[in-house]
Amino acid sequence: MANESASAVAGGTVADLEARGIAKRFGSVVAIERVDLDVRRGEFVAIMGPSGCGKTTLLRIIAGLERADAGTLLLRGEDIGDVPVHRRSTRLIWQDYSLFPFLNVRKNIEFGLTLRRHDKKAVRTKVEAVAELVHLDHLLSRRIGQLSGGEKQRVAIARALVTEPEILLLDEPLSSLDAHLRIKVQSELTVLQRELGISFIYVTHNQSEAFAMADRVVVMNKGVVEQTGRPAEIYNRPETHFVAEFVGANNIFEGRVSDTAAGTVVVDCSHGTVQIAGHGNRIDRGAAIELVVQADKLRRRLDGEDGLNTIRAVLKGREFTGSQVIYYLETAQGVEVKMVLQEPFTEGEGTEINSELELCWAPEDTVILGHRDARQP
Amino acid sequence: MTEGRLSLYLRENGYRLAGRVYLFLGFIFLLLPITFLILFSFQRNVYSSLPLQGWSLQWYDKLVEDGVLFDALLNSLYVSPIAATAASVIGFLAAYALNRFVFPGRILTATILILPILIPPLILGVSLLGLLSRLGLHGQLYSIIIAHTLLLTAPAMAIIQLRLAQMPPTLEEAAWDLGANELQTVWRVVLPWALPGIAGGWLLAFTFSFDEFIIAWFVSGFDQTLPVTVYNVMIASHDPSLNAIGTIVFGLLLLTLLGAELLIIPLFMRRRRA
Repeated sequence: MANESASAVAGGTVADLEARGIAKRFGSVVAIERVDLDVRRGEFVAIMGPSGCGKTTLLRIIAGLERADAGTLLLRGEDIGDVPVHRRSTRLIWQDYSLFPFLNVRKNIEFGLTLRRHDKKAVRTKVEAVAELVHLDHLLSRRIGQLSGGEKQRVAIARALVTEPEILLLDEPLSSLDAHLRIKVQSELTVLQRELGISFIYVTHNQSEAFAMADRVVVMNKGVVEQTGRPAEIYNRPETHFVAEFVGANNIFEGRVSDTAAGTVVVDCSHGTVQIAGHGNRIDRGAAIELVVQADKLRRRLDGEDGLNTIRAVLKGREFTGSQVIYYLETAQGVEVKMVLQEPFTEGEGTEINSELELCWAPEDTVILGHRDARQP
Repeated sequence: MTEGRLSLYLRENGYRLAGRVYLFLGFIFLLLPITFLILFSFQRNVYSSLPLQGWSLQWYDKLVEDGVLFDALLNSLYVSPIAATAASVIGFLAAYALNRFVFPGRILTATILILPILIPPLILGVSLLGLLSRLGLHGQLYSIIIAHTLLLTAPAMAIIQLRLAQMPPTLEEAAWDLGANELQTVWRVVLPWALPGIAGGWLLAFTFSFDEFIIAWFVSGFDQTLPVTVYNVMIASHDPSLNAIGTIVFGLLLLTLLGAELLIIPLFMRRRRA
């Protein structure tokens, strides 16, 4: 039944899942304050946030393993808030895969098909087709204990897919794989999702996973959605203090708007003035705001360069990560500054620890955050 | 030359050798009484003392002729499996409920289920006799089954609960998520997971029941289990056919264990290798 409705509508524009005002508390602990979420058909959505932000609870509410205290949940237009977990056409992939250890691979995959009256031959055909899709066909008679982490994960996915779910929910499925395998499985998952054309909702705390795979990223913190957007939007245009801090290496400066003339906003920060170009929204003079500058947009100022924002800071430490070097600096006013360079400085340019450097960045590379978040202390 | 070698060997392996001797003596201590029981069941001696008076099967003949001990063995082989099975079923259901649900009176329920094993068997036996006779259920084989089920549910539940506590909670959730209802999940996921615990609990309950004397003595009537009959025979007279029934029970248990080892374990091994 899942397939009929899926093939009847062209993918991409129709809502698969609409969550409105979902809230959930456990005793006195608020897991989800209020969350709206839309997933279009065939979309790969990543829900990203630190542990305890409510992302897994949200996934479990969608799966039917938890009941929301408030809000409505529509799956392809149908209210599923009261549908028990075993009648929902969503499937969840667990972090530890949750395979049945007393069954072999084939029995695990066919589990969901053998619960009601079924044709044994049809089940066999379906299981083998799915096993081939995830490259498990040679492992069907293996026991679960004999599988590697990556193979276990493919069994978990096959076991879910064979039941033809309308949405696949994945709860940090890559976190128990080693780094090398993770990259491989990432691309496999993306390819699989495109092939199947069903929506994936993918929960993770890892931004590189979310950015690499998702069409859209939802950043959650403390039970609310901080920002929703395409990976590049989230990365380049963080909207809140939390997103700016959570997503990679960002510098956040506080300041007060001193001038808004001629398309540029001028802000007084503790280390000096900063010019911001290309800011669309109206902003009042005298407003207290936060600015974000990505660490990889900073570089050392060369002699005679003008029209750039500059900042003087003392080098405190450096970290070599292989493809790039991260420099940690501090201004005279005690503000920490991070700078990421693809190539390290050459030696003997006055770049010893504790030497003062002059850094710069382009006015277009400065992002204004929404007015100071009320929840931040 | 040889002496030198021996002392060298002792210096290098002295502790290991001492350990082996100690282990050997321990086994002798454990197995010697059984060896004598078997030996004297096949001897003409009326009393189990040396010298041996020659091989004979006369005590086995007497066993069959009297029939009392033999019937008691059959009674035991009827009572114990039923009591063990009933205790395992109740134990599994109770263990699952206690493990899975949080409900008012949960701790009270657990305590009540464990209680029979903490009450001295003498007191339990007397009170069960009083209760069962008032209900008109005393003096029968099923009286012993009822009493033993009550007693054995606690240890069976304890072992099954140990196994269930190791089950990842996401296992049941995975079954529901794939479309299984509560009953299907218990049948197809929880039960297979708990099976090693249930088998262990059943075996423990069976041995418990097979050995149990005091409660069986109180609640049984003319049909008695083996321990009760053995006791009755012993206080009535000296009867060497007790050695014979002891040998038969030992042989049965040995065969069961060997059978388990030869049949069931390779079955598991083969499945694992496949």
